[in-house]
Amino acid sequence: MSHILLMALYAVQVSVFFAVLWRRSPRDQGKLFLQLFLGMMVGGLVLAWLMYPLPPSPPGPIP
Amino acid sequence: MTAEPADPALSSSQEGKGHRNAFVAMILAWLVPGAGHLYLGRRSRAVVFLLLVAFSICLGVLLHGKLFVVLPDQPLSRLGTLASMGMGIPYFVLQFVLGYRGDIQGSSYEYGSAFLLTAGLMNLLLVLDAWDIAGGHKD
Repeated sequence: MSHILLMALYAVQVSVFFAVLWRRSPRDQGKLFLQLFLGMMVGGLVLAWLMYPLPPSPPGPIP
Repeated sequence: MTAEPADPALSSSQEGKGHRNAFVAMILAWLVPGAGHLYLGRRSRAVVFLLLVAFSICLGVLLHGKLFVVLPDQPLSRLGTLASMGMGIPYFVLQFVLGYRGDIQGSSYEYGSAFLLTAGLMNLLLVLDAWDIAGGHKD
Protein backbone atom coordinates (compact mmCIF):
# COMPACT_ATOMS: atom_id res chain seq x y z
CA MET A 1 0.00 0.00 0.00
CA SER A 2 1.19 3.51 -0.69
CA HIS A 3 2.34 5.84 2.05
CA ILE A 4 -0.46 8.31 1.40
CA LEU A 5 -3.11 5.59 1.55
CA LEU A 6 -1.75 4.31 4.84
CA MET A 7 -1.69 7.84 6.21
CA ALA A 8 -5.29 8.36 5.11
CA LEU A 9 -6.38 5.06 6.67
CA TYR A 10 -4.68 5.99 9.92
CA ALA A 11 -6.27 9.44 9.89
CA VAL A 12 -9.72 8.00 9.22
CA GLN A 13 -9.40 5.46 11.98
CA VAL A 14 -8.20 7.91 14.63
CA SER A 15 -10.69 10.59 13.57
CA VAL A 16 -13.66 8.23 13.79
CA PHE A 17 -12.46 6.99 17.16
CA PHE A 18 -12.21 10.41 18.75
CA ALA A 19 -15.37 11.69 17.09
CA VAL A 20 -17.38 8.82 18.60
CA LEU A 21 -15.55 9.03 21.91
CA TRP A 22 -15.88 12.76 22.44
CA ARG A 23 -19.14 13.74 20.75
CA ARG A 24 -22.68 12.45 21.03
CA SER A 25 -24.80 13.88 18.23
CA PRO A 26 -24.08 12.70 14.68
CA ARG A 27 -23.73 16.30 13.54
CA ASP A 28 -21.05 17.07 16.11
CA GLN A 29 -19.35 13.78 15.39
CA GLY A 30 -19.20 14.56 11.69
CA LYS A 31 -17.83 18.02 12.38
CA LEU A 32 -15.11 16.75 14.70
CA PHE A 33 -14.27 13.93 12.29
CA LEU A 34 -13.69 16.39 9.47
CA GLN A 35 -11.59 18.66 11.66
CA LEU A 36 -9.38 15.83 12.86
CA PHE A 37 -9.10 14.11 9.50
CA LEU A 38 -8.27 17.23 7.55
CA GLY A 39 -5.91 18.38 10.30
CA MET A 40 -3.95 15.15 10.16
CA MET A 41 -3.90 14.91 6.38
CA VAL A 42 -3.04 18.53 5.70
CA GLY A 43 -0.60 18.63 8.63
CA GLY A 44 1.13 15.48 7.40
CA LEU A 45 1.45 16.80 3.86
CA VAL A 46 2.77 20.15 5.07
CA LEU A 47 5.34 18.41 7.27
CA ALA A 48 6.37 16.19 4.37
CA TRP A 49 6.72 19.22 2.13
CA LEU A 50 8.83 21.04 4.74
CA MET A 51 11.11 18.01 5.13
CA TYR A 52 11.49 17.47 1.41
CA PRO A 53 14.73 19.52 1.09
CA LEU A 54 16.37 17.61 3.94
CA PRO A 55 18.82 14.90 2.86
CA PRO A 56 17.69 11.32 3.49
CA SER A 57 19.46 9.55 6.31
CA PRO A 58 21.39 6.36 5.56
CA PRO A 59 19.64 3.16 6.62
CA GLY A 60 20.55 2.03 10.09
CA PRO A 61 21.83 -1.43 11.00
CA ILE A 62 19.25 -4.14 11.46
CA PRO A 63 19.43 -5.42 15.04
CA MET B 1 -29.97 19.24 44.05
CA THR B 2 -28.10 16.55 42.24
CA ALA B 3 -26.06 14.26 44.39
CA GLU B 4 -22.72 13.09 43.15
CA PRO B 5 -22.23 9.35 43.21
CA ALA B 6 -20.54 8.45 46.46
CA ASP B 7 -18.67 5.53 44.94
CA PRO B 8 -18.06 5.61 41.22
CA ALA B 9 -17.48 1.88 41.29
CA LEU B 10 -21.08 1.23 42.29
CA SER B 11 -22.97 4.05 40.61
CA SER B 12 -25.56 3.59 37.91
CA SER B 13 -25.30 4.73 34.34
CA GLN B 14 -27.28 7.74 33.20
CA GLU B 15 -29.27 5.83 30.61
CA GLY B 16 -31.06 3.87 33.28
CA LYS B 17 -29.33 0.61 32.48
CA GLY B 18 -29.17 -0.32 36.14
CA HIS B 19 -26.22 -0.59 38.44
CA ARG B 20 -22.92 -1.25 36.78
CA ASN B 21 -19.68 -1.89 38.55
CA ALA B 22 -16.96 0.43 37.25
CA PHE B 23 -14.17 -2.04 37.95
CA VAL B 24 -15.93 -4.77 36.00
CA ALA B 25 -16.52 -2.31 33.17
CA MET B 26 -12.84 -1.37 33.12
CA ILE B 27 -11.63 -4.95 33.14
CA LEU B 28 -14.06 -5.94 30.40
CA ALA B 29 -13.09 -2.88 28.38
CA TRP B 30 -9.43 -3.85 28.62
CA LEU B 31 -9.88 -7.54 27.89
CA VAL B 32 -12.10 -7.16 24.83
CA PRO B 33 -12.29 -3.82 22.98
CA GLY B 34 -15.84 -2.47 23.25
CA ALA B 35 -16.93 -4.97 25.90
CA GLY B 36 -16.89 -2.35 28.63
CA HIS B 37 -19.26 -0.13 26.69
CA LEU B 38 -21.47 -3.11 25.90
CA TYR B 39 -21.61 -3.92 29.60
CA LEU B 40 -22.63 -0.32 30.28
CA GLY B 41 -25.42 -0.47 27.70
CA ARG B 42 -23.72 1.58 24.97
CA ARG B 43 -24.20 -0.97 22.24
CA SER B 44 -23.69 1.16 19.16
CA ARG B 45 -20.54 2.74 20.53
CA ALA B 46 -19.29 -0.68 21.62
CA VAL B 47 -19.63 -2.01 18.08
CA VAL B 48 -17.85 1.01 16.58
CA PHE B 49 -14.98 0.76 19.06
CA LEU B 50 -14.65 -2.98 18.56
CA LEU B 51 -14.48 -2.55 14.80
CA LEU B 52 -11.96 0.29 15.03
CA VAL B 53 -9.57 -1.50 17.36
CA ALA B 54 -9.92 -4.77 15.44
CA PHE B 55 -9.25 -2.94 12.18
CA SER B 56 -6.14 -1.37 13.64
CA ILE B 57 -4.83 -4.70 14.93
CA CYS B 58 -5.54 -6.54 11.68
CA LEU B 59 -3.91 -3.86 9.57
CA GLY B 60 -0.91 -3.75 11.90
CA VAL B 61 -0.46 -7.50 11.57
CA LEU B 62 -0.97 -7.43 7.80
CA LEU B 63 1.74 -4.78 7.58
CA HIS B 64 4.06 -6.96 9.72
CA GLY B 65 4.32 -4.35 12.46
CA LYS B 66 6.20 -4.86 15.68
CA LEU B 67 4.44 -6.27 18.72
CA PHE B 68 6.45 -4.85 21.61
CA VAL B 69 7.95 -7.02 24.32
CA VAL B 70 10.13 -5.91 27.22
CA LEU B 71 13.82 -5.95 26.35
CA PRO B 72 16.14 -5.61 29.35
CA ASP B 73 18.67 -3.42 27.53
CA GLN B 74 16.01 -1.11 26.06
CA PRO B 75 14.07 0.73 28.80
CA LEU B 76 11.73 2.40 26.31
CA SER B 77 10.49 -1.02 25.23
CA ARG B 78 8.57 -1.10 28.51
CA LEU B 79 6.45 1.85 27.37
CA GLY B 80 5.84 0.22 24.00
CA THR B 81 4.90 -3.04 25.68
CA LEU B 82 2.54 -1.27 28.05
CA ALA B 83 0.86 0.51 25.14
CA SER B 84 0.61 -2.69 23.10
CA MET B 85 -0.79 -4.65 26.03
CA GLY B 86 -3.57 -2.09 26.17
CA MET B 87 -5.31 -4.03 23.41
CA GLY B 88 -6.09 -6.75 25.96
CA ILE B 89 -6.66 -10.38 24.97
CA PRO B 90 -5.57 -9.84 21.33
CA TYR B 91 -2.07 -8.96 22.56
CA PHE B 92 -1.69 -12.22 24.42
CA VAL B 93 -3.19 -14.23 21.57
CA LEU B 94 -0.77 -12.66 19.10
CA GLN B 95 2.19 -12.97 21.45
CA PHE B 96 1.76 -16.37 23.03
CA VAL B 97 -0.73 -18.30 20.90
CA LEU B 98 0.26 -17.24 17.41
CA GLY B 99 3.88 -16.39 18.23
CA TYR B 100 3.58 -13.16 16.22
CA ARG B 101 6.69 -10.98 16.16
CA GLY B 102 6.47 -8.84 13.05
CA ASP B 103 9.02 -8.49 10.30
CA ILE B 104 11.57 -5.75 10.84
CA GLN B 105 12.80 -6.08 7.26
CA GLY B 106 9.33 -5.53 5.82
CA SER B 107 8.81 -2.27 3.97
CA SER B 108 5.63 -1.55 5.95
CA TYR B 109 7.10 -2.48 9.35
CA GLU B 110 6.98 1.03 10.82
CA TYR B 111 3.42 1.62 9.64
CA GLY B 112 2.30 -1.70 11.07
CA SER B 113 3.95 -0.89 14.39
CA ALA B 114 2.09 2.42 14.51
CA PHE B 115 -1.24 0.70 13.92
CA LEU B 116 -0.55 -1.92 16.61
CA LEU B 117 0.51 0.68 19.15
CA THR B 118 -2.50 2.82 18.28
CA ALA B 119 -4.84 -0.13 18.83
CA GLY B 120 -3.49 -0.57 22.35
CA LEU B 121 -3.62 3.13 23.15
CA MET B 122 -7.17 3.48 21.83
CA ASN B 123 -8.29 0.61 24.00
CA LEU B 124 -6.63 2.16 27.06
CA LEU B 125 -8.67 5.30 26.40
CA LEU B 126 -11.78 3.12 26.20
CA VAL B 127 -10.94 1.69 29.63
CA LEU B 128 -10.87 5.23 31.06
CA ASP B 129 -14.06 6.10 29.19
CA ALA B 130 -15.80 3.07 30.68
CA TRP B 131 -14.76 4.24 34.13
CA ASP B 132 -16.17 7.71 33.47
CA ILE B 133 -19.48 6.35 32.19
CA ALA B 134 -19.87 3.92 35.08
CA GLY B 135 -19.07 6.70 37.52
CA GLY B 136 -21.75 8.95 36.06
CA HIS B 137 -19.23 11.54 34.90
CA LYS B 138 -20.17 11.01 31.27
CA ASP B 139 -23.24 9.75 29.45
